[in-house]
Amino acid sequence: MQHCCINICYAEVEEAFAFMIKSYSIKILVFALGMGFLYSFSYGQTYYQFEGVVVDENNQPITGASVMVYAIKRGDVTDADGYFRIENLLESTHNVEVSFLGYETLVKEVSFKKNKKFKFQLKESSIKLEEVVVEDNYAEHKKRETSLNIDVVDDDYLKQNLGGSLMKSLERLAGVTTIDIGSGQSKPVIRGLGFNRVVVVENNIKHEAQQWGADHGLEIDQYAVDNIEVIKGPSSLMYGSDAIGGVVDMKNKSVPAENSFGGIIDLSGKTNNNFLGTSVSLFARKKHLFAIVRATLLDFGDYRVPTDSVDIYNFRVPLYKNHLRNTAGKEQNLHTSFGVIKDRFQSRFYVSNVNSKGGFFANAHGLEPRNVDHEEHDRSSRDILYPYHKANHFKVINRSSLWSENWELELDLGFQNNFREEWSVYTQHGYMPAVFPESLDFNPEIERQFDKDIYSANIKFLYRLSNKIELNTGINSEYMDNEIGGRGFIIPSFEQLNLGGYFVAKYNFSEKSLLQAGVRYDYGNINTAQYNDWFASPILENGDTTTYEYLQRSANLSRNFSNFSWSIGYNYNPDKWSYKFNIGKSFRMPIAKELAANGVNYHRFSYEVGNADLSPEISYQLDAGIEYESKKFGVGVSPFINYFSNYLYLNPTSRFDRLYGFGNQVFEYTESEVFRFGGEIHARYEITNYLQLGLIGEYVYAEQLSGEKKGFTLPFAPPASAIFNIKYHKPQLAFLTNTFVSLDYRLTATQNNIVPPEEPTDGFQVFNLGLGGDLLLKNQTIDISIQIQNLLNTKYFNHMSYYRLINVPEPSRNFVINVSIPFSVITNAN
Amino acid sequence: MKTLKLLSVIIGLSIILFSCGDDNEIDTEKPEIDITIPEAFPTSCNDTIYFGESFTIKFRLTDNIELGSYSIDIHHNFDHHSHSTEVMECNLNPKKTPENPYILIETYDIPIGKNEYITDLPITIPSSNTSGELYDEGDYHFNLSVTDQEGWTTQFGIGIKMMHR
Repeated sequence: MQHCCINICYAEVEEAFAFMIKSYSIKILVFALGMGFLYSFSYGQTYYQFEGVVVDENNQPITGASVMVYAIKRGDVTDADGYFRIENLLESTHNVEVSFLGYETLVKEVSFKKNKKFKFQLKESSIKLEEVVVEDNYAEHKKRETSLNIDVVDDDYLKQNLGGSLMKSLERLAGVTTIDIGSGQSKPVIRGLGFNRVVVVENNIKHEAQQWGADHGLEIDQYAVDNIEVIKGPSSLMYGSDAIGGVVDMKNKSVPAENSFGGIIDLSGKTNNNFLGTSVSLFARKKHLFAIVRATLLDFGDYRVPTDSVDIYNFRVPLYKNHLRNTAGKEQNLHTSFGVIKDRFQSRFYVSNVNSKGGFFANAHGLEPRNVDHEEHDRSSRDILYPYHKANHFKVINRSSLWSENWELELDLGFQNNFREEWSVYTQHGYMPAVFPESLDFNPEIERQFDKDIYSANIKFLYRLSNKIELNTGINSEYMDNEIGGRGFIIPSFEQLNLGGYFVAKYNFSEKSLLQAGVRYDYGNINTAQYNDWFASPILENGDTTTYEYLQRSANLSRNFSNFSWSIGYNYNPDKWSYKFNIGKSFRMPIAKELAANGVNYHRFSYEVGNADLSPEISYQLDAGIEYESKKFGVGVSPFINYFSNYLYLNPTSRFDRLYGFGNQVFEYTESEVFRFGGEIHARYEITNYLQLGLIGEYVYAEQLSGEKKGFTLPFAPPASAIFNIKYHKPQLAFLTNTFVSLDYRLTATQNNIVPPEEPTDGFQVFNLGLGGDLLLKNQTIDISIQIQNLLNTKYFNHMSYYRLINVPEPSRNFVINVSIPFSVITNAN
Repeated sequence: MKTLKLLSVIIGLSIILFSCGDDNEIDTEKPEIDITIPEAFPTSCNDTIYFGESFTIKFRLTDNIELGSYSIDIHHNFDHHSHSTEVMECNLNPKKTPENPYILIETYDIPIGKNEYITDLPITIPSSNTSGELYDEGDYHFNLSVTDQEGWTTQFGIGIKMMHR
């Protein structure tokens, strides 16, 4: 039944596709939106064309080089003679960026005054491979051409800040924190909002797993990710429901250069949990066809904390050699990407499988703190015993795009399967039999099982009406089917369909200012399935007669949601300054857990109950950004104010559950009005050409304005935090290139704004040291980066960690080393 | 100069915003369980509960504002799995496989408006299940949890013995 539904979505997508091909209909839409008057502004001006050639050091033309005029983001790719041409440019001065894989990117200021021909000469870069075109400049331009607050990080950043997990590596960004459980499992939190309030996108397809669960990380291979954009603030407009808090948008390696063949070997080690990681990738490209493959293997032991015992509520657990018992894990990932690239067409497949297994801290999993067999657990720090979880995420994505001078059409199709299991020793819950009956047909040691299929289709059409007006329209669709298994129950099986269409117009008043406005409509449907216990529980009737029943935990439920959202933003970028302003309405559909949860949370020893009547979450936000950038000095602040008319919130009640766990406290989903404000600050000062001082700070305040917890904050409120950084970098130091030494001093304030069952968390100060550079051995470059995290081995607690509730401090000092060995063979063209 | 001006405006604004935060008092105190009152029971692993008899659960519960409810849970510890808030070491019987262990999970309301409450709860433990099979003797856990109206919670758990007399 639901599968028919998918066909319908695809059909609708195709229809929309056909519709948009008729480009003149776009103009009608423009008038409909009242943009016509703006269009008329663009008449009466003189246009110039920008043309020329791109050559290498031997004056040989380079084919396929990208020439980009920034701020207006118009570009061309050089043809077989190295020739490019961009038409209809206004008289002005622009930054032009010329780039090609394997060559150093050239950025030049160019004045378009006459129809003059240009010649750009590119120098071969010492490393011939991975350098994706744009990096830093891209980040800068990306920031300037959108009214949202956005941070962009690249491969180098990820290597230099390699954390326990991909998300942990992003934590250094202002406004980004993570909710953790253990050393390798983190979920992104943007300005205090996480889980289903942050959308994670990989290669244009929304990553769907069991996002609501805090006990596992993202099933994404850190080594395969090359470029990440973090959008802070609601972005429902382009990314749909769930992007109410922000977006983490990741891209894999870009297309290799023509007639190239090469690869990269990454080796990583961490001392804290004896982590060993290796990732090898190979790439090849003929003229039009290319392929990339990658294999990653990670293996790590229990991680260490600077304490020899942990107080789980009132229960003291001794730790053997500071090891957090049974937190070892491993990961095996395979990826391949292949496709075809033509002058005006590109189609690329991404196929990946990410498989991980990780232990949970054995004493703190289940219905209550547990005394486990320490002798068995402490025998080896590398084995993974019960309780543990396994996750396998399979993904196939196709991205195809077709473009011309003034339009781009993109179709993204995706299929994902997420299979996740939690295994533990059979423990009776409530009135489950003390000994598991053999007559039942499932494995009693599977505590939970989720099997989710996700089908996605997005279509996007961009049209440049003139060099002042850019129109963007698209449709996102997604269908999910989630099956459950195992002895415990928390969420039911469900099916969910999301459909959304948007229209965004961007108007460049001038080189320096742009206005962006958009609207979106979403429709969603969720059907949850009935679930009854597999064991009977006693029901007391009239106080004395006891009957036994297979209790119903969740009912058949069908809910439809729809919403209209909008956003308007304005950018003004005079010279060194940049001002941004954005206001919008975002929304989020309630998820299955919020509507129909009914079970024990094994990490909090709580009993969680959904509410079938919840409405979609609505949020209004006002964002601003002011930035000053000069060669020596840069500073930026990005404040925000945010109001939720109904924040969906897991409220701790004063009641206990009698029928499932061991009399656990009941937490119930409810809605409350929430007001939040906060912001980030970042600053940089170049003392000398080589020495730089930096500051990154963040603050969020949240208060519930109504409901049972009126006056309280929201759970996992990030404390105010700042990083002071000093960095020394030198392009050439003895036999090393791109050398750097960087010291981070992180200062985090005490968090006293708490909700039950949290505890106030003391502030802390931590030092992290990083250093690295590229070593040139004969003709081989070796890129080395080293980090010492928690340099002084400070014992501190992180308010954002699930393990904070059971008094587990953050990891001890950790030496991290990452070595990258790129190699390449440029085959002779022609 | 322009930068300085701008910065001072931003800092000024933030101070105004930040300082208008905490003006309403919220309750962040957990309820308490007092096991030192006379006749408090059960409070140590020397306490034994007998099948087929009744005993009285007695504790003093307090909160700074208003108590919520409390829950009692008794389950077997034949696998020596879990916890105790006691300081003293308890002598456990050897591990064994449960055959017919006793289990009790019950929740009780505390009358509205109380910030102090002494439980005086008689509980009768049957000696056998509905089919007449005797419950297993040995090590059990006794857990008491109490909440206040805001949802703060405090637990008390100890090991006890349950025997047939």
